[in-house]
Amino acid sequence: MASEVRPRTAESVEADLKVRPYETVRRYEATEITTIVRAVLRAMGATLKNLFRKPVTVHYPDKERQYPSRYRGLLALTYDKETGEENCIGCRLCEYVCPPAVIKVEMLKSEKRNYAKTFTLELYACEFCELCVQVCPTDAIVMMKSFDMPTADRREMLLDKDRLHAIGLQYEQSWATGNRLRDMQTPPKAPAPAHAPKPAATTQGSADPGKSGADPVGPRVETV
Amino acid sequence: MPSWLTLLIAPFIVLNVVIGLVTYVTLLERKFAARMQSRIGPYRVGPHGLLQPIADALKLMMKEDVVPTAADRRIYNLAPIVFLIPCMLIFATIPFAPGLGVADVNIGILFFLAVSAMEIVGLFMAGWGSNNKYALLSAMRAVNQIISYDLPFIFSALVPVLLAGSLKMSDIAAVQQGSPLKWFIFYPVIGQLAFIMFIVSTLAAENRVPFDILEAESELVAGFRVEYSGMKFALIQLGEYAHMIGSSFLGALLFLGAWSGPGPEYLGPIWFLLKAMFIFLVVTWIRWSFVRIRVDQILALSWKALLPATLGLLITTAVVVVWRTSGF
Repeated sequence: MASEVRPRTAESVEADLKVRPYETVRRYEATEITTIVRAVLRAMGATLKNLFRKPVTVHYPDKERQYPSRYRGLLALTYDKETGEENCIGCRLCEYVCPPAVIKVEMLKSEKRNYAKTFTLELYACEFCELCVQVCPTDAIVMMKSFDMPTADRREMLLDKDRLHAIGLQYEQSWATGNRLRDMQTPPKAPAPAHAPKPAATTQGSADPGKSGADPVGPRVETV
Repeated sequence: MPSWLTLLIAPFIVLNVVIGLVTYVTLLERKFAARMQSRIGPYRVGPHGLLQPIADALKLMMKEDVVPTAADRRIYNLAPIVFLIPCMLIFATIPFAPGLGVADVNIGILFFLAVSAMEIVGLFMAGWGSNNKYALLSAMRAVNQIISYDLPFIFSALVPVLLAGSLKMSDIAAVQQGSPLKWFIFYPVIGQLAFIMFIVSTLAAENRVPFDILEAESELVAGFRVEYSGMKFALIQLGEYAHMIGSSFLGALLFLGAWSGPGPEYLGPIWFLLKAMFIFLVVTWIRWSFVRIRVDQILALSWKALLPATLGLLITTAVVVVWRTSGF
Protein backbone atom coordinates (compact mmCIF):
# COMPACT_ATOMS: atom_id res chain seq x y z
CA MET A 1 0.00 0.00 0.00
CA ALA A 2 1.52 3.27 -1.07
CA SER A 3 1.80 5.79 1.65
CA GLU A 4 0.08 9.10 1.20
CA VAL A 5 1.83 11.68 -0.87
CA ARG A 6 2.21 14.93 1.03
CA PRO A 7 5.05 17.22 1.95
CA ARG A 8 6.80 16.08 5.07
CA THR A 9 8.54 18.25 7.57
CA ALA A 10 10.25 17.33 10.78
CA GLU A 11 7.25 18.62 12.72
CA SER A 12 4.68 16.75 10.67
CA VAL A 13 6.58 13.50 11.01
CA GLU A 14 6.81 13.96 14.73
CA ALA A 15 3.14 14.76 14.94
CA ASP A 16 2.33 11.73 12.83
CA LEU A 17 4.30 9.46 15.06
CA LYS A 18 2.40 10.72 18.07
CA VAL A 19 -0.93 10.00 16.46
CA ARG A 20 0.02 6.85 14.60
CA PRO A 21 3.05 5.18 16.09
CA TYR A 22 3.02 2.40 13.53
CA GLU A 23 2.98 3.41 9.90
CA THR A 24 1.97 -0.09 8.94
CA VAL A 25 -1.35 0.23 10.67
CA ARG A 26 -3.27 2.13 8.10
CA ARG A 27 -6.85 3.22 8.35
CA TYR A 28 -8.94 3.48 5.25
CA GLU A 29 -10.68 6.80 5.10
CA ALA A 30 -14.28 6.97 3.96
CA THR A 31 -13.31 8.74 0.74
CA GLU A 32 -10.80 6.02 -0.04
CA ILE A 33 -13.44 3.36 0.24
CA THR A 34 -15.76 5.19 -2.13
CA THR A 35 -12.82 5.52 -4.52
CA ILE A 36 -12.18 1.80 -4.36
CA VAL A 37 -15.82 0.95 -4.87
CA ARG A 38 -16.07 3.35 -7.78
CA ALA A 39 -12.93 1.88 -9.36
CA VAL A 40 -14.30 -1.64 -8.99
CA LEU A 41 -17.58 -0.67 -10.62
CA ARG A 42 -15.80 1.14 -13.44
CA ALA A 43 -13.56 -1.83 -14.17
CA MET A 44 -16.50 -4.19 -14.27
CA GLY A 45 -18.48 -1.73 -16.36
CA ALA A 46 -15.72 -1.61 -18.94
CA THR A 47 -15.69 -5.37 -19.39
CA LEU A 48 -19.48 -5.49 -19.43
CA LYS A 49 -19.56 -2.95 -22.23
CA ASN A 50 -17.10 -5.04 -24.21
CA LEU A 51 -19.28 -8.10 -23.72
CA PHE A 52 -22.04 -6.63 -25.84
CA ARG A 53 -19.75 -5.21 -28.46
CA LYS A 54 -19.18 -6.97 -31.77
CA PRO A 55 -15.93 -8.94 -31.75
CA VAL A 56 -13.20 -7.38 -33.84
CA THR A 57 -11.79 -10.72 -34.96
CA VAL A 58 -11.65 -11.32 -38.71
CA HIS A 59 -12.09 -14.98 -39.65
CA TYR A 60 -8.91 -14.74 -41.62
CA PRO A 61 -8.70 -17.65 -44.03
CA ASP A 62 -12.44 -17.48 -44.68
CA LYS A 63 -12.77 -13.75 -44.94
CA GLU A 64 -10.16 -11.32 -46.04
CA ARG A 65 -9.54 -8.08 -44.27
CA GLN A 66 -9.73 -4.87 -46.29
CA TYR A 67 -6.18 -3.73 -46.71
CA PRO A 68 -5.24 -0.10 -46.16
CA SER A 69 -4.76 1.76 -49.43
CA ARG A 70 -1.00 2.05 -48.93
CA TYR A 71 -0.46 -1.56 -47.83
CA ARG A 72 2.81 -3.06 -49.06
CA GLY A 73 3.23 -6.82 -48.88
CA LEU A 74 4.52 -9.52 -51.22
CA LEU A 75 6.96 -8.61 -53.93
CA ALA A 76 6.17 -9.25 -57.58
CA LEU A 77 7.22 -8.46 -61.13
CA THR A 78 4.94 -6.60 -63.49
CA TYR A 79 4.13 -6.54 -67.18
CA ASP A 80 3.74 -3.42 -69.19
CA LYS A 81 0.04 -2.65 -69.36
CA GLU A 82 -0.03 -1.53 -72.99
CA THR A 83 2.43 -3.80 -74.75
CA GLY A 84 2.18 -6.77 -72.43
CA GLU A 85 5.96 -7.04 -72.27
CA GLU A 86 7.72 -7.64 -69.01
CA ASN A 87 8.98 -4.44 -67.45
CA CYS A 88 12.22 -5.75 -66.01
CA ILE A 89 15.27 -4.72 -67.98
CA GLY A 90 17.68 -6.76 -65.91
CA CYS A 91 19.63 -3.70 -64.75
CA ARG A 92 20.45 -5.39 -61.42
CA LEU A 93 19.93 -2.21 -59.39
CA CYS A 94 17.68 -4.11 -56.99
CA GLU A 95 20.31 -6.79 -56.58
CA TYR A 96 22.89 -4.17 -55.63
CA VAL A 97 20.68 -2.31 -53.21
CA CYS A 98 19.15 -5.31 -51.45
CA PRO A 99 20.43 -5.28 -47.82
CA PRO A 100 19.93 -9.00 -47.10
CA ALA A 101 21.02 -9.82 -50.66
CA VAL A 102 18.06 -12.00 -51.47
CA ILE A 103 17.68 -10.86 -55.09
CA LYS A 104 19.74 -12.39 -57.86
CA VAL A 105 19.36 -11.15 -61.44
CA GLU A 106 21.08 -12.14 -64.67
CA MET A 107 20.85 -9.79 -67.58
CA LEU A 108 19.91 -10.92 -71.08
CA LYS A 109 21.26 -8.51 -73.68
CA SER A 110 18.93 -7.85 -76.54
CA GLU A 111 18.58 -5.42 -79.40
CA LYS A 112 16.10 -2.75 -78.36
CA ARG A 113 16.19 -3.31 -74.63
CA ASN A 114 17.56 -5.81 -72.17
CA TYR A 115 15.71 -8.47 -70.25
CA ALA A 116 16.24 -10.41 -67.06
CA LYS A 117 17.37 -13.88 -67.97
CA THR A 118 16.76 -15.11 -64.45
CA PHE A 119 15.32 -13.25 -61.51
CA THR A 120 15.19 -15.00 -58.14
CA LEU A 121 13.97 -13.60 -54.85
CA GLU A 122 14.44 -15.51 -51.61
CA LEU A 123 11.29 -14.34 -49.90
CA TYR A 124 12.04 -16.25 -46.70
CA ALA A 125 14.94 -13.91 -46.00
CA CYS A 126 13.42 -10.76 -47.42
CA GLU A 127 13.01 -7.97 -44.92
CA PHE A 128 10.45 -6.02 -46.96
CA CYS A 129 12.45 -2.81 -46.82
CA GLU A 130 11.09 -1.77 -50.22
CA LEU A 131 14.47 -0.51 -51.41
CA CYS A 132 14.26 -2.66 -54.57
CA VAL A 133 10.96 -1.03 -55.42
CA GLN A 134 12.41 2.41 -54.85
CA VAL A 135 15.37 1.96 -57.14
CA CYS A 136 13.59 0.15 -59.96
CA PRO A 137 13.74 2.49 -62.94
CA THR A 138 10.98 0.74 -64.87
CA ASP A 139 8.52 -0.01 -62.07
CA ALA A 140 9.14 -3.67 -62.75
CA ILE A 141 9.35 -4.89 -59.15
CA VAL A 142 6.48 -3.75 -56.96
CA MET A 143 4.73 -4.75 -53.77
CA MET A 144 1.29 -6.32 -53.59
CA LYS A 145 -1.65 -5.69 -51.28
CA SER A 146 -1.37 -9.15 -49.76
CA PHE A 147 0.81 -11.20 -47.50
CA ASP A 148 -0.79 -14.51 -48.42
CA MET A 149 1.94 -17.03 -48.92
CA PRO A 150 1.59 -19.72 -46.28
CA THR A 151 3.67 -22.78 -46.89
CA ALA A 152 4.98 -25.77 -45.01
CA ASP A 153 8.26 -25.78 -46.91
CA ARG A 154 10.35 -22.71 -47.12
CA ARG A 155 11.87 -23.79 -50.40
CA GLU A 156 8.58 -22.77 -51.89
CA MET A 157 9.41 -19.22 -50.96
CA LEU A 158 12.37 -19.13 -53.27
CA LEU A 159 10.60 -17.22 -56.01
CA ASP A 160 11.78 -17.37 -59.59
CA LYS A 161 10.80 -15.04 -62.37
CA ASP A 162 7.66 -16.97 -63.35
CA ARG A 163 6.33 -17.07 -59.80
CA LEU A 164 7.02 -13.40 -59.31
CA HIS A 165 5.08 -12.60 -62.46
CA ALA A 166 2.26 -14.90 -61.35
CA ILE A 167 2.03 -13.11 -58.00
CA GLY A 168 1.93 -9.81 -59.85
CA LEU A 169 -1.11 -10.98 -61.78
CA GLN A 170 -2.78 -12.64 -58.81
CA TYR A 171 -3.03 -9.77 -56.35
CA GLU A 172 -3.78 -6.11 -56.40
CA GLN A 173 -0.76 -3.91 -56.82
CA SER A 174 0.23 -1.54 -54.07
CA TRP A 175 0.22 2.16 -54.70
CA ALA A 176 3.97 2.56 -54.39
CA THR A 177 6.13 2.14 -57.47
CA GLY A 178 9.70 3.20 -58.02
CA ASN A 179 8.92 6.27 -60.04
CA ARG A 180 6.23 7.55 -57.76
CA LEU A 181 8.41 7.10 -54.71
CA ARG A 182 11.30 8.88 -56.36
CA ASP A 183 9.08 11.73 -57.39
CA MET A 184 8.02 12.20 -53.83
CA GLN A 185 11.60 12.52 -52.74
CA THR A 186 12.87 14.91 -55.39
CA PRO A 187 12.77 18.56 -54.41
CA PRO A 188 9.67 20.37 -55.64
CA LYS A 189 10.04 21.58 -59.17
CA ALA A 190 9.94 25.23 -60.11
CA PRO A 191 6.34 26.22 -60.77
CA ALA A 192 6.82 27.32 -64.39
CA PRO A 193 9.89 26.08 -66.21
CA ALA A 194 10.82 29.09 -68.28
CA HIS A 195 13.56 27.43 -70.26
CA ALA A 196 13.65 23.99 -71.75
CA PRO A 197 11.89 21.28 -69.66
CA LYS A 198 14.35 19.57 -67.40
CA PRO A 199 15.33 16.10 -68.54
CA ALA A 200 14.39 13.37 -66.16
CA ALA A 201 16.85 12.70 -63.44
CA THR A 202 16.62 8.96 -63.83
CA THR A 203 16.76 7.03 -67.02
CA GLN A 204 13.29 6.40 -68.37
CA GLY A 205 9.82 7.67 -67.93
CA SER A 206 10.12 9.02 -64.43
CA ALA A 207 9.31 12.60 -65.31
CA ASP A 208 5.87 11.92 -66.59
CA PRO A 209 4.79 15.47 -65.81
CA GLY A 210 1.13 14.75 -65.39
CA LYS A 211 1.78 12.17 -62.75
CA SER A 212 4.62 13.57 -60.75
CA GLY A 213 2.74 16.54 -59.37
CA ALA A 214 -0.54 15.01 -58.39
CA ASP A 215 0.02 11.44 -57.45
CA PRO A 216 2.23 11.54 -54.38
CA VAL A 217 -0.25 13.78 -52.68
CA GLY A 218 -3.35 11.99 -53.81
CA PRO A 219 -2.94 8.55 -52.29
CA ARG A 220 -1.64 9.95 -49.09
CA VAL A 221 -5.06 11.40 -48.42
CA GLU A 222 -6.75 7.99 -48.62
CA THR A 223 -4.47 6.54 -46.00
CA VAL A 224 -6.47 4.68 -43.38
CA MET B 1 -32.58 -54.27 -7.45
CA PRO B 2 -30.13 -54.74 -4.59
CA SER B 3 -29.82 -51.71 -2.37
CA TRP B 4 -26.08 -51.31 -2.86
CA LEU B 5 -26.70 -50.95 -6.59
CA THR B 6 -29.16 -48.10 -6.10
CA LEU B 7 -26.63 -46.49 -3.82
CA LEU B 8 -24.12 -46.61 -6.63
CA ILE B 9 -26.34 -45.41 -9.45
CA ALA B 10 -27.06 -41.91 -8.14
CA PRO B 11 -23.41 -41.02 -7.49
CA PHE B 12 -22.46 -42.49 -10.86
CA ILE B 13 -24.95 -40.28 -12.65
CA VAL B 14 -23.98 -37.18 -10.67
CA LEU B 15 -20.29 -37.82 -11.24
CA ASN B 16 -20.72 -38.11 -14.99
CA VAL B 17 -23.02 -35.14 -15.23
CA VAL B 18 -20.54 -33.07 -13.25
CA ILE B 19 -17.62 -34.13 -15.45
CA GLY B 20 -19.60 -33.36 -18.58
CA LEU B 21 -20.67 -30.03 -17.13
CA VAL B 22 -17.13 -29.15 -16.17
CA THR B 23 -15.74 -29.82 -19.63
CA TYR B 24 -18.37 -27.63 -21.21
CA VAL B 25 -18.02 -24.92 -18.62
CA THR B 26 -14.44 -24.44 -19.81
CA LEU B 27 -15.86 -23.67 -23.24
CA LEU B 28 -18.40 -21.31 -21.71
CA GLU B 29 -15.69 -19.50 -19.84
CA ARG B 30 -13.45 -19.22 -22.87
CA LYS B 31 -16.27 -17.90 -25.03
CA PHE B 32 -17.37 -15.46 -22.36
CA ALA B 33 -13.83 -14.26 -21.72
CA ALA B 34 -13.25 -13.86 -25.44
CA ARG B 35 -16.32 -11.71 -25.87
CA MET B 36 -15.20 -9.50 -22.99
CA GLN B 37 -12.00 -8.87 -24.91
CA SER B 38 -13.79 -8.36 -28.24
CA ARG B 39 -12.56 -11.72 -29.51
CA ILE B 40 -14.56 -14.74 -30.65
CA GLY B 41 -12.91 -17.55 -28.74
CA PRO B 42 -12.86 -21.19 -29.86
CA TYR B 43 -14.52 -21.32 -33.24
CA ARG B 44 -12.91 -23.86 -35.50
CA VAL B 45 -13.65 -27.22 -33.86
CA GLY B 46 -17.24 -27.99 -34.64
CA PRO B 47 -19.89 -25.32 -35.18
CA HIS B 48 -18.89 -22.27 -33.17
CA GLY B 49 -16.24 -24.34 -31.42
CA LEU B 50 -18.78 -26.57 -29.70
CA LEU B 51 -16.54 -29.63 -29.94
CA GLN B 52 -13.53 -27.82 -28.51
CA PRO B 53 -13.73 -29.39 -25.01
CA ILE B 54 -13.76 -32.86 -26.56
CA ALA B 55 -10.78 -32.00 -28.71
CA ASP B 56 -8.99 -30.68 -25.63
CA ALA B 57 -9.74 -33.82 -23.66
CA LEU B 58 -8.53 -36.05 -26.50
CA LYS B 59 -5.38 -34.02 -26.83
CA LEU B 60 -4.65 -34.27 -23.12
CA MET B 61 -5.25 -38.02 -23.16
CA MET B 62 -2.76 -38.53 -25.96
CA LYS B 63 -0.05 -36.42 -24.38
CA GLU B 64 3.03 -38.05 -23.02
CA ASP B 65 3.03 -38.40 -19.25
CA VAL B 66 6.22 -36.76 -18.04
CA VAL B 67 7.49 -37.30 -14.51
CA PRO B 68 10.43 -35.12 -13.49
CA THR B 69 13.50 -37.11 -12.49
CA ALA B 70 13.86 -35.39 -9.16
CA ALA B 71 10.16 -35.61 -8.31
CA ASP B 72 8.89 -37.56 -5.35
CA ARG B 73 7.18 -40.13 -7.53
CA ARG B 74 4.60 -41.46 -5.15
CA ILE B 75 3.38 -38.09 -3.96
CA TYR B 76 3.61 -36.67 -7.45
CA ASN B 77 1.43 -39.40 -8.92
CA LEU B 78 -1.05 -39.42 -6.09
CA ALA B 79 -1.57 -35.67 -5.88
CA PRO B 80 -4.02 -35.20 -8.80
CA ILE B 81 -6.31 -37.87 -7.38
CA VAL B 82 -6.16 -36.50 -3.87
CA PHE B 83 -6.88 -33.11 -5.35
CA LEU B 84 -9.79 -34.29 -7.45
CA ILE B 85 -11.65 -36.36 -4.85
CA PRO B 86 -12.71 -33.52 -2.49
CA CYS B 87 -13.61 -31.39 -5.47
CA MET B 88 -15.98 -34.12 -6.65
CA LEU B 89 -17.19 -34.99 -3.17
CA ILE B 90 -18.68 -31.55 -2.64
CA PHE B 91 -21.39 -32.40 -5.13
CA ALA B 92 -22.56 -35.22 -2.88
CA THR B 93 -24.60 -33.05 -0.56
CA ILE B 94 -26.07 -30.65 -3.09
CA PRO B 95 -29.73 -31.39 -3.79
CA PHE B 96 -30.40 -30.51 -7.41
CA ALA B 97 -34.16 -30.60 -6.90
CA PRO B 98 -36.36 -31.64 -3.98
CA GLY B 99 -35.23 -35.18 -3.25
CA LEU B 100 -32.83 -35.29 -6.18
CA GLY B 101 -29.31 -35.60 -4.88
CA VAL B 102 -26.80 -38.13 -3.66
CA ALA B 103 -26.93 -37.58 0.09
CA ASP B 104 -29.00 -34.81 1.58
CA VAL B 105 -27.46 -35.11 5.03
CA ASN B 106 -28.60 -32.89 7.87
CA ILE B 107 -25.19 -31.22 8.13
CA GLY B 108 -24.86 -30.73 4.38
CA ILE B 109 -23.32 -27.26 4.54
CA LEU B 110 -20.79 -28.34 7.11
CA PHE B 111 -19.82 -31.30 4.93
CA PHE B 112 -19.48 -29.06 1.91
CA LEU B 113 -17.31 -26.50 3.69
CA ALA B 114 -15.11 -29.11 5.32
CA VAL B 115 -14.55 -31.16 2.19
CA SER B 116 -13.97 -28.19 -0.09
CA ALA B 117 -11.16 -27.03 2.19
CA MET B 118 -9.52 -30.44 1.84
CA GLU B 119 -8.41 -29.83 -1.72
CA ILE B 120 -5.44 -28.02 -0.24
CA VAL B 121 -3.94 -31.37 0.72
CA GLY B 122 -3.75 -32.53 -2.87
CA LEU B 123 -2.60 -29.12 -3.94
CA PHE B 124 0.27 -29.08 -1.51
CA MET B 125 1.18 -32.65 -2.43
CA ALA B 126 1.39 -31.59 -6.06
CA GLY B 127 3.57 -28.62 -5.22
CA TRP B 128 5.84 -30.60 -2.93
CA GLY B 129 6.08 -33.73 -5.03
CA SER B 130 7.02 -31.87 -8.20
CA ASN B 131 10.30 -30.81 -6.61
CA ASN B 132 10.14 -27.57 -8.50
CA LYS B 133 10.67 -24.27 -6.78
CA TYR B 134 7.86 -22.54 -8.62
CA ALA B 135 5.45 -25.33 -7.80
CA LEU B 136 6.48 -25.34 -4.17
CA LEU B 137 6.23 -21.57 -3.90
CA SER B 138 2.81 -21.70 -5.44
CA ALA B 139 1.66 -24.47 -3.11
CA MET B 140 2.83 -22.53 -0.08
CA ARG B 141 1.05 -19.43 -1.26
CA ALA B 142 -2.07 -21.50 -1.76
CA VAL B 143 -1.96 -22.89 1.76
CA ASN B 144 -1.46 -19.38 3.05
CA GLN B 145 -4.40 -18.08 1.11
CA ILE B 146 -6.81 -20.90 1.76
CA ILE B 147 -6.21 -20.75 5.50
CA SER B 148 -6.89 -17.02 5.36
CA TYR B 149 -10.03 -17.21 3.30
CA ASP B 150 -11.75 -20.29 4.61
CA LEU B 151 -12.94 -18.43 7.67
CA PRO B 152 -14.66 -15.56 5.83
CA PHE B 153 -15.99 -18.14 3.37
CA ILE B 154 -17.54 -20.20 6.13
CA PHE B 155 -18.86 -17.21 8.02
CA SER B 156 -20.52 -15.72 4.97
CA ALA B 157 -22.01 -19.10 4.09
CA LEU B 158 -23.35 -19.38 7.61
CA VAL B 159 -25.48 -16.24 7.27
CA PRO B 160 -28.12 -18.00 5.12
CA VAL B 161 -27.83 -20.96 7.46
CA LEU B 162 -28.83 -18.72 10.35
CA LEU B 163 -31.63 -17.15 8.36
CA ALA B 164 -32.99 -20.55 7.38
CA GLY B 165 -32.31 -22.12 10.75
CA SER B 166 -30.92 -25.34 9.33
CA LEU B 167 -27.65 -26.84 8.13
CA LYS B 168 -29.49 -29.12 5.75
CA MET B 169 -29.19 -27.94 2.18
CA SER B 170 -32.70 -28.89 1.14
CA ASP B 171 -34.15 -27.02 4.13
CA ILE B 172 -32.27 -23.88 3.21
CA ALA B 173 -33.56 -24.17 -0.33
CA ALA B 174 -37.09 -24.92 0.84
CA VAL B 175 -37.25 -21.73 2.93
CA GLN B 176 -36.54 -19.67 -0.17
CA GLN B 177 -39.27 -21.20 -2.34
CA GLY B 178 -42.29 -19.26 -3.50
CA SER B 179 -41.41 -15.79 -4.66
CA PRO B 180 -37.96 -14.43 -5.58
CA LEU B 181 -38.32 -11.97 -2.72
CA LYS B 182 -37.79 -14.86 -0.36
CA TRP B 183 -34.32 -15.48 -1.78
CA PHE B 184 -31.74 -14.63 0.81
CA ILE B 185 -29.96 -12.22 -1.53
CA PHE B 186 -33.05 -10.00 -1.23
CA TYR B 187 -33.04 -10.12 2.56
CA PRO B 188 -32.67 -6.44 3.45
CA VAL B 189 -29.04 -5.32 3.80
CA ILE B 190 -27.78 -8.55 5.39
CA GLY B 191 -28.46 -10.61 2.28
CA GLN B 192 -26.65 -8.31 -0.13
CA LEU B 193 -23.65 -7.83 2.15
CA ALA B 194 -23.37 -11.55 2.77
CA PHE B 195 -23.61 -12.27 -0.95
CA ILE B 196 -20.80 -9.84 -1.80
CA MET B 197 -18.61 -11.27 0.94
CA PHE B 198 -19.45 -14.77 -0.22
CA ILE B 199 -18.41 -13.96 -3.79
CA VAL B 200 -15.17 -12.33 -2.67
CA SER B 201 -14.16 -15.16 -0.39
CA THR B 202 -15.22 -17.75 -2.98
CA LEU B 203 -12.94 -16.06 -5.47
CA ALA B 204 -10.09 -16.27 -3.00
CA ALA B 205 -10.83 -19.81 -1.89
CA GLU B 206 -10.90 -20.93 -5.53
CA ASN B 207 -7.70 -19.00 -6.24
CA ARG B 208 -9.32 -17.03 -9.01
CA VAL B 209 -8.24 -13.65 -10.30
CA PRO B 210 -7.73 -11.18 -8.58
CA PHE B 211 -6.57 -13.58 -5.88
CA ASP B 212 -4.58 -15.88 -8.14
CA ILE B 213 -1.16 -15.39 -6.60
CA LEU B 214 -0.59 -19.12 -6.52
CA GLU B 215 -0.92 -19.33 -10.27
CA ALA B 216 0.27 -15.82 -11.08
CA GLU B 217 0.52 -16.39 -14.82
CA SER B 218 3.29 -13.87 -15.26
CA GLU B 219 5.61 -15.18 -12.56
CA LEU B 220 4.88 -18.77 -11.53
CA VAL B 221 3.88 -20.11 -14.97
CA ALA B 222 1.07 -22.49 -14.00
CA GLY B 223 1.77 -22.59 -10.30
CA PHE B 224 1.66 -25.93 -8.51
CA ARG B 225 0.72 -27.82 -11.68
CA VAL B 226 3.66 -26.61 -13.71
CA GLU B 227 5.29 -30.05 -13.87
CA TYR B 228 2.14 -31.96 -14.72
CA SER B 229 1.22 -33.05 -18.20
CA GLY B 230 -1.31 -35.19 -19.96
CA MET B 231 -4.10 -36.76 -17.97
CA LYS B 232 -2.69 -35.75 -14.60
CA PHE B 233 -2.85 -32.15 -15.66
CA ALA B 234 -6.37 -32.78 -16.92
CA LEU B 235 -7.38 -34.23 -13.55
CA ILE B 236 -6.11 -31.15 -11.75
CA GLN B 237 -7.91 -28.84 -14.14
CA LEU B 238 -11.04 -30.93 -13.75
CA GLY B 239 -10.77 -30.64 -9.99
CA GLU B 240 -10.34 -26.88 -10.10
CA TYR B 241 -13.33 -26.36 -12.32
CA ALA B 242 -15.41 -28.84 -10.36
CA HIS B 243 -14.63 -26.91 -7.21
CA MET B 244 -15.57 -23.70 -8.89
CA ILE B 245 -18.87 -25.07 -10.15
CA GLY B 246 -19.58 -26.65 -6.78
CA SER B 247 -19.09 -23.28 -5.12
CA SER B 248 -21.33 -21.67 -7.73
CA PHE B 249 -24.04 -24.23 -6.94
CA LEU B 250 -23.59 -23.52 -3.25
CA GLY B 251 -23.93 -19.78 -3.87
CA ALA B 252 -27.04 -20.32 -5.96
CA LEU B 253 -28.49 -22.53 -3.26
CA LEU B 254 -27.67 -20.24 -0.37
CA PHE B 255 -28.58 -16.91 -1.89
CA LEU B 256 -30.54 -17.34 -5.11
CA GLY B 257 -33.21 -19.77 -3.97
CA ALA B 258 -31.83 -22.94 -5.58
CA TRP B 259 -34.55 -24.49 -7.76
CA SER B 260 -37.24 -21.88 -7.23
CA GLY B 261 -38.42 -20.35 -10.47
CA PRO B 262 -41.40 -20.03 -12.75
CA GLY B 263 -42.79 -23.01 -14.60
CA PRO B 264 -43.55 -26.57 -13.56
CA GLU B 265 -41.59 -28.37 -10.91
CA TYR B 266 -39.44 -30.44 -13.27
CA LEU B 267 -37.82 -27.23 -14.51
CA GLY B 268 -36.31 -26.77 -11.04
CA PRO B 269 -32.90 -28.30 -11.79
CA ILE B 270 -32.65 -26.16 -14.93
CA TRP B 271 -33.26 -23.02 -12.90
CA PHE B 272 -30.72 -24.17 -10.37
CA LEU B 273 -28.17 -24.77 -13.11
CA LEU B 274 -28.86 -21.37 -14.67
CA LYS B 275 -28.38 -19.62 -11.34
CA ALA B 276 -25.15 -21.50 -10.70
CA MET B 277 -23.94 -20.55 -14.18
CA PHE B 278 -24.87 -16.97 -13.45
CA ILE B 279 -22.62 -16.98 -10.39
CA PHE B 280 -19.89 -18.68 -12.39
CA LEU B 281 -20.12 -16.01 -15.07
CA VAL B 282 -19.97 -13.26 -12.47
CA VAL B 283 -16.77 -14.83 -11.21
CA THR B 284 -15.41 -14.95 -14.75
CA TRP B 285 -16.51 -11.37 -15.28
CA ILE B 286 -14.53 -10.34 -12.21
CA ARG B 287 -11.58 -12.32 -13.50
CA TRP B 288 -11.27 -10.25 -16.65
CA SER B 289 -11.91 -6.93 -14.93
CA PHE B 290 -9.18 -6.79 -12.33
CA VAL B 291 -5.46 -7.14 -11.97
CA ARG B 292 -3.81 -9.38 -9.45
CA ILE B 293 -3.50 -8.20 -5.85
CA ARG B 294 -0.22 -8.45 -3.99
CA VAL B 295 0.28 -11.20 -1.40
CA ASP B 296 0.24 -8.91 1.61
CA GLN B 297 -2.83 -7.12 0.28
CA ILE B 298 -4.64 -10.40 -0.07
CA LEU B 299 -3.84 -11.36 3.49
CA ALA B 300 -4.66 -7.88 4.77
CA LEU B 301 -8.00 -7.95 2.99
CA SER B 302 -8.84 -11.25 4.60
CA TRP B 303 -7.66 -10.73 8.15
CA LYS B 304 -8.27 -7.01 8.53
CA ALA B 305 -11.42 -6.49 6.52
CA LEU B 306 -13.27 -9.59 5.48
CA LEU B 307 -12.93 -11.66 8.64
CA PRO B 308 -14.17 -8.95 11.06
CA ALA B 309 -16.87 -7.94 8.60
CA THR B 310 -18.23 -11.46 8.15
CA LEU B 311 -18.02 -12.14 11.85
CA GLY B 312 -19.89 -8.92 12.60
CA LEU B 313 -22.45 -9.74 9.96
CA LEU B 314 -22.95 -13.20 11.41
CA ILE B 315 -23.56 -11.78 14.88
CA THR B 316 -25.90 -9.13 13.49
CA THR B 317 -27.80 -11.82 11.62
CA ALA B 318 -28.10 -13.86 14.79
CA VAL B 319 -29.47 -10.86 16.65
CA VAL B 320 -31.92 -10.09 13.88
CA VAL B 321 -33.10 -13.68 13.69
CA VAL B 322 -33.63 -13.91 17.45
CA TRP B 323 -35.38 -10.55 17.47
CA ARG B 324 -37.72 -11.52 14.65
CA THR B 325 -38.57 -14.97 15.93
CA SER B 326 -39.07 -14.07 19.58
CA GLY B 327 -40.47 -10.65 18.80
CA PHE B 328 -39.02 -8.59 21.59
